[in-house]
Formats: sequence, C-alpha cells, structure tokens
Amino acid sequence: MADLLKLSVPGKPEYVGMVRMAISCLANSVGFDIEAIEDIKVAVSEACTNALCHSKNRAGGYEVYCEMSDDKIVVSVVDQSGGYDKNSYKEPCLDQPKEGGLGIYIIKALMDEVDIFTEIGIGTRIKMVKYTK
Amino acid sequence: MTLHIQKSFDHNKGLWNIAPQGEVDISTAPVLRSCIDEAFNEENGNIILDFDQLRYMDSTGLGVIIGAYSRMKEKGYSIVLKNPRKNILKLLQITNLDRVLCAELYE
Repeated sequence: MADLLKLSVPGKPEYVGMVRMAISCLANSVGFDIEAIEDIKVAVSEACTNALCHSKNRAGGYEVYCEMSDDKIVVSVVDQSGGYDKNSYKEPCLDQPKEGGLGIYIIKALMDEVDIFTEIGIGTRIKMVKYTK
Repeated sequence: MTLHIQKSFDHNKGLWNIAPQGEVDISTAPVLRSCIDEAFNEENGNIILDFDQLRYMDSTGLGVIIGAYSRMKEKGYSIVLKNPRKNILKLLQITNLDRVLCAELYE
C-alpha cells in the first residue's frame, strides 16, 4: 500500500524551492541514492515551472501528489491552467539551443516513466515515476 | 531559496568572472539574467561563470545562459562555464550544452 502525500502550492515561483525540498526528503525516505534524488528534484521543479508558465493567472496555484512505495516514487504535478495543444510540443533541437522548451525534455531524460495528460480548457497533469532499482 | 552572485572584471584579461552561489530556478533565474546582462553592458568582454558554489540549477538557468550566450556570440564574445557540480554537469550533458559551454572538459 503506497503512502500518498498531497501539496497544494500557491502559483508563485518562490514556492518551487519548497516543493523541491519536500520531494527531496520524501525520495530520501524511500531509499533513493543521492544522484536519483537530484534527478527527482530537477524533474519535479521542471514540472512545477511548467505549471507556473502555463498559468495565465499565477495566483491559481497547482497540486503536487507524491505516492511512495517500497520500490518507487510517483509524482504528479496537476494544474488547472487551461491545458495546451499537445501537438504543438516539439523536441528541442540540441544543435541549436534556445532559451526555452527544455523542461519536458529534461523530465523525460531523468525519470523512468513520464505521462503527460493535457486538455485544452481544463489543465495539465505531468505524472513521473522513478524506481529505486 | 537564495542566490548570491559575485562578479568582477579582470581588466588585464578583459573578461568577467561571475560566481553564483546557491540555487537557480524559476524564482531566481531573473537575478542571474540581470547580473549577466548588466555586467556585459557595463563592459563588453568574455564571461567565465564559476559554478563551484552553485548547488542547483534547472532549465530556467540553462535558458538564461543560452540566451546570454546567443546575444554575446553575435558581438563576438563567449561564455565559459567552470566547475559545475555533478548534478548540474548531468543536465548540461543531457542537453548537449556541455560541448558548447564546458569545452575545456573535453580538451
């Protein structure tokens, strides 16, 4: 049976660091090594940044759900920011780096499983899984 | 989360040494952007970013550096990143930016 922890986060950039700190403690309690904890911290920060950037009204806030079990952590970042057209996402061209657009690419590189659910007019959920082994 | 930045201009070598300490994320990335832009506007020159004391950075910081790198390249200057910690180097490698910004690691 997994333990579930839910954070309701104000839509302000200064709270992303707090989420990162909380996730770091939780990942440590599951038994991840330092490198994996760093991966999880970055991935969750990127998802929070995404939620903030997609939000037209930053006061809206977002939720972070963490499910912890013996062999994995599942983190979902859920916003109600109106979603986006999934087809508009393009993998970044690494030979010609640009200022934005690296967040999702980095999340996918650092986590074992990533699912993005988005619905225009509703919001976006980024679900990320990391296994201990 | 905090970010402190020390910067100094080496007149003999004509380059900036900029050393951020702490964490760069969505809340502090604008501070890094302003610091780099203000330095370069004050005195055009190459920039060394010393990351020895930088504990954390994500794509928001990478975006700041990419933006500055592009603007400076147009004017014939460059940014070199030194002493990135393991977690930050991993991000640079994932995005291939290590080849652009940390070329000395491969010399």
